[in-house]
Amino acid sequence: MASRILSQASFNLFKNVSKVSRQASASFSVGPVRNDKIDEELKKVEAPLVTVEPHQSGVTITISGVFFILFQEDISPVTGIPEEHIKNRLIRIFKPARNTMQSGSANTHHWEMEFDTRERWENPLMGWSSSADPLSNLKLSFASEAEAIAHCEKHGWQWYIDQPKTKEPKVKNYGVNFAWNKRTRVSTK
Amino acid sequence: MATGRAAQVVTRQVRPILSVSHNEARSRALALYKAWYRQIPHIVNEIDIPKSTKQCREKLREEFAKHKDVKDVRVIDMLIIKGQMELKETVQKWKQVGHVMNYWKETVNKKPTDFLSKFLEGKD
Amino acid sequence: MASNILRKLSGSLIGVGLSGSRVSQTFNIAPTVLSRRLSSEAQTEAETRPTIRKHDEVARAHVTDFGRYVAECLPKFVQKVQLTGTDELEVLVAPEGIVPVLSFLKDHHNAQFTNLADIAGVDVPSRKYRFEVVYNLLSLRYNTRIRVKTYTDELTPIDSVNDVHKAANWYEREIWDMFGVFFADHPDLRRILTDYGFEGHPFRKDFPLSGYVEVRYDDAKKRVVVEPLELAQEFRRFELNSPWEQFPNFRDTSVIEEAAPAPEKK
Repeated sequence: MASRILSQASFNLFKNVSKVSRQASASFSVGPVRNDKIDEELKKVEAPLVTVEPHQSGVTITISGVFFILFQEDISPVTGIPEEHIKNRLIRIFKPARNTMQSGSANTHHWEMEFDTRERWENPLMGWSSSADPLSNLKLSFASEAEAIAHCEKHGWQWYIDQPKTKEPKVKNYGVNFAWNKRTRVSTK
Repeated sequence: MATGRAAQVVTRQVRPILSVSHNEARSRALALYKAWYRQIPHIVNEIDIPKSTKQCREKLREEFAKHKDVKDVRVIDMLIIKGQMELKETVQKWKQVGHVMNYWKETVNKKPTDFLSKFLEGKD
Repeated sequence: MASNILRKLSGSLIGVGLSGSRVSQTFNIAPTVLSRRLSSEAQTEAETRPTIRKHDEVARAHVTDFGRYVAECLPKFVQKVQLTGTDELEVLVAPEGIVPVLSFLKDHHNAQFTNLADIAGVDVPSRKYRFEVVYNLLSLRYNTRIRVKTYTDELTPIDSVNDVHKAANWYEREIWDMFGVFFADHPDLRRILTDYGFEGHPFRKDFPLSGYVEVRYDDAKKRVVVEPLELAQEFRRFELNSPWEQFPNFRDTSVIEEAAPAPEKK
């Protein structure tokens, strides 16, 4: 089934070639895959069809010099990040918490990513906190969680989302106890 | 905690770097491999490294095999470009002994992988 | 998305953002003689506060007109023309149009931006096209500067402007080395600042301050060796931003625009 959908995707790409390549930019995203009238339109296609197997993630289809990618891009081999820090790291995507010592909430409206904690040890000479993790001090901010996820996916990192906990504010008003509809209200007579 | 790896099918039209097809990228990769392979005897001759031609060729194969699963043509192209630059740096002797020997990473301690060595290291 | 729409409309509509002492506005105007009249209308009343930088309205009108002219001449490539708060003209172009735009600016008699002062890079990881490449040009003939900006991602090549400006050779090597942006048709693209065998691109935002490796001289091996980093004292992270909102009036201006680089100053 998946392979069929993919082959349909590849077919629709063919259709879009003439439309897109005429424009100046070569950086448009092609629209969503459509399933209607596949069989009829398949016959009209002149270019050879490329069937993409589902297990071949990362297959690129080329039609007359125009490129289509059928997968989530993984640029991890060319980023220069050591393999160890790509395969073995887990990223937490979270919304920073408010500073507990102050009531201002200005720095809590974005998403951040941070890497899992690695071993730290006490420096035997000076008592410093030592670490062998270069990524422990990396801080990347994003406007939304989707952007953070896209960044992690592109770099081949495992990630999880730490949803912020929202709490209903508790009504802390003494007078509420004596509201007109409360049973706690007793007559003084 | 749902760990991510969203299986997405994303279709994008992109600009190629060098190759426009898999076969072209493949032949470029093979050409680069051959170029390295043929240059290795000269490199061993020119630069004073404690390695034989055979060892260098094994390392060459290993470096290429590292990226055998890369499917994206543009990533392959980028790797080829970087490999080409490395070759030029090595052949022109811009690289010194330390730079060339860095491929072997001889002084780097291997991380413990099996249970017993992890236990003896005191790490989990 | 915005850029797509802009590009489609660019034949008839050009956005020119004017940012002054007030919040900047973006006008959509028809590329006619009308635009010249508009630029003079856009003048604000004279600034009297001593600490606020005063605008030279004549120079401002001049660069605005010139920006409109560039946009009218190259509607296919120019996506947006904007003025910064200090009246610097910025032309935001599509990546495939960088060579035509720079050759236009160099060869046109009324521009003569023959001097490429610098090429800079900007990394914004949250964008789809995360890198901005910024070309700073100087026209000695008219004593003016202009900034041309374009965008790309890690794998999309940008055309080298080495054929237009010879100065671009080393600047592009620097951008390649620091950001990993590949320049197509560059005559001699190789590293310029990092060490041979160095992996990664240090100016990317996801490159850690410490790097991934450390280098030392090994006495036994009699050579320099490269090893994974081990910090005797780990970097500490400080949250230095105030938790209090400083400029609530500008709360909505920091939203990053997709594909078309956001205006510098609002």
